[in-house]
Amino acid sequence: MGKPAAGVVTNRFVDIARGNAKKKGMPNARLVFVPHPVQGMTSAQHKAYIAGKDPVTGKQVMQEIIDALTGPLTDDDRKTGFVDTKAPARLIGPQTPDNLQRLFQASGWTDYLPVILPTEKKVSDMMKGTSRRPDEVVGKMTGGDYEPWEYTVEQVAVNAVMAGAKPEHLPLILAIASTGISSFYNSPDSLVRAVVVNGPVREEIGMNFETGAMGPFNAANAAIGRAWTLLSKNLGNAGILGETYTGSQGNSLNYDNIVIAENEKSSPWAPLSVQKGFKAGDSVVSIFTGLGMHPGQGAKRGGETLKPAYNAQISSILDTFSGFFGALVVCDPLVAKNLKAAGFDTKEKLSEWLQSNTKLAVADYKESNYVALYDAPRAKKGEQPYAAWFKLPPTARIPRFASPKDIEIVVVGGETLAVFQAGNLKYMTSAVVDKWR
Amino acid sequence: MKIGTAFFLTAILLLSLASSVSAQDAKISVLNPKGTPPPTPLVPMAPRLDTLEGKTIYFVDIKYEGGASLLHEIMAWFTQNIPTAKLVFVENQGSYDQEDAKLYAEIKQKADAVVMAVGH
Repeated sequence: MGKPAAGVVTNRFVDIARGNAKKKGMPNARLVFVPHPVQGMTSAQHKAYIAGKDPVTGKQVMQEIIDALTGPLTDDDRKTGFVDTKAPARLIGPQTPDNLQRLFQASGWTDYLPVILPTEKKVSDMMKGTSRRPDEVVGKMTGGDYEPWEYTVEQVAVNAVMAGAKPEHLPLILAIASTGISSFYNSPDSLVRAVVVNGPVREEIGMNFETGAMGPFNAANAAIGRAWTLLSKNLGNAGILGETYTGSQGNSLNYDNIVIAENEKSSPWAPLSVQKGFKAGDSVVSIFTGLGMHPGQGAKRGGETLKPAYNAQISSILDTFSGFFGALVVCDPLVAKNLKAAGFDTKEKLSEWLQSNTKLAVADYKESNYVALYDAPRAKKGEQPYAAWFKLPPTARIPRFASPKDIEIVVVGGETLAVFQAGNLKYMTSAVVDKWR
Repeated sequence: MKIGTAFFLTAILLLSLASSVSAQDAKISVLNPKGTPPPTPLVPMAPRLDTLEGKTIYFVDIKYEGGASLLHEIMAWFTQNIPTAKLVFVENQGSYDQEDAKLYAEIKQKADAVVMAVGH
């Protein structure tokens, strides 16, 4: 902006505010801290905040704001060039394995569980899983509002080793890494990420898409999810507590993420990858983001086992979702087959029905913080359907999900029970695994 | 158990313990899992003002809950303590992590200084 500025931030975000200023090239940006939280407090409490002291520096808040705007610049403030960053040494050690485990954990390079130490031999073996050169750039990743980090095939392989992956898992992990989407995102609402795998790679590497598919019962599913977490932390600098991660409660799904290999052989519908325009023989990963998973048990009409109406059951769960994040409905094949018999012969038909049957009142829609932050500015710019929705009376009913395309459906499970889960998750992108073989 | 068999098993146990101890103590080197931050150009800070008297100060709300109320309290302090300052309250359009190009252009043209506040 080229104007003197003071940023006022709550003291819960000291490290992240200073870190972001540095990442934006202004390490000495003048920040003033007030007590946390600001949200949910009265104006009298806000008045007391600014009349009081900065809880970080102990100085008067208002005096700090004045100083930020009028205090002369130092030589450091006027500096040009680049923020000091050091490239890490390629090799660490020699050290004992126990000491290295301690170092990795203390440095925040793990998920706080022991890892497989990435010796040159193990990384070299991992590299046999791909024809790509070690120094080839895979992509760039960011887990928040900072410049993305770039990484190579070898660096991804290092993190794959740490996660316990096998060489045959590497192309799939590289495909995930190539999307540049970290498994963490810096948001106080503790977002999660999911990957849906389609195509021959699922069977080639022995992924589980049947009984217990989404649980800890398969080496490939487990290692792929864990590798995504580790490479996001280490190569995308995402999920660094207090620096690039502020999820207030955190989310256990971030340990291993949501890894879903679609059960294509038992599904009555086209695989997700084909819906996204890929060929049936392509191996593809598709990435989703959002708030988490919700079980189908407990849905309205969930006990109607003699004449189940799974579409109605699913809609009752989706009726609790934030439309901003869309929905990923995960059906056991028994549910999918039942729905097909009920007339939903494509996933698209079910998505359309669900979008039409999960409406909410405009007044309720406008109460959402996501709507205030994201939809309201779109409405102001005239973007549809948000602009039209904002002109409707409070009692008018509008779709919870802006488009049927915001509701994706996949099939997974071993047909031990007709069940479903639904994620408040929206589709982001897909990547082909085969190009990383 | 014959004495010879017992001796043999004891020897195996001691050998395996010894090798396990040496494996624990053996030092190894590993590859660094951490990537490299991108080079970030330093942005020189804007010159500061000599005084805020008579200056136009923009108060930018990025629209997190509570941010507007906090900013209005800061503005109330300015009204009382630096009454000659011209105070302008504005909202950053778009989500909180997006720069509002139109607003930034307006600030560049009209503001002398900026106070930006977040909620939470």
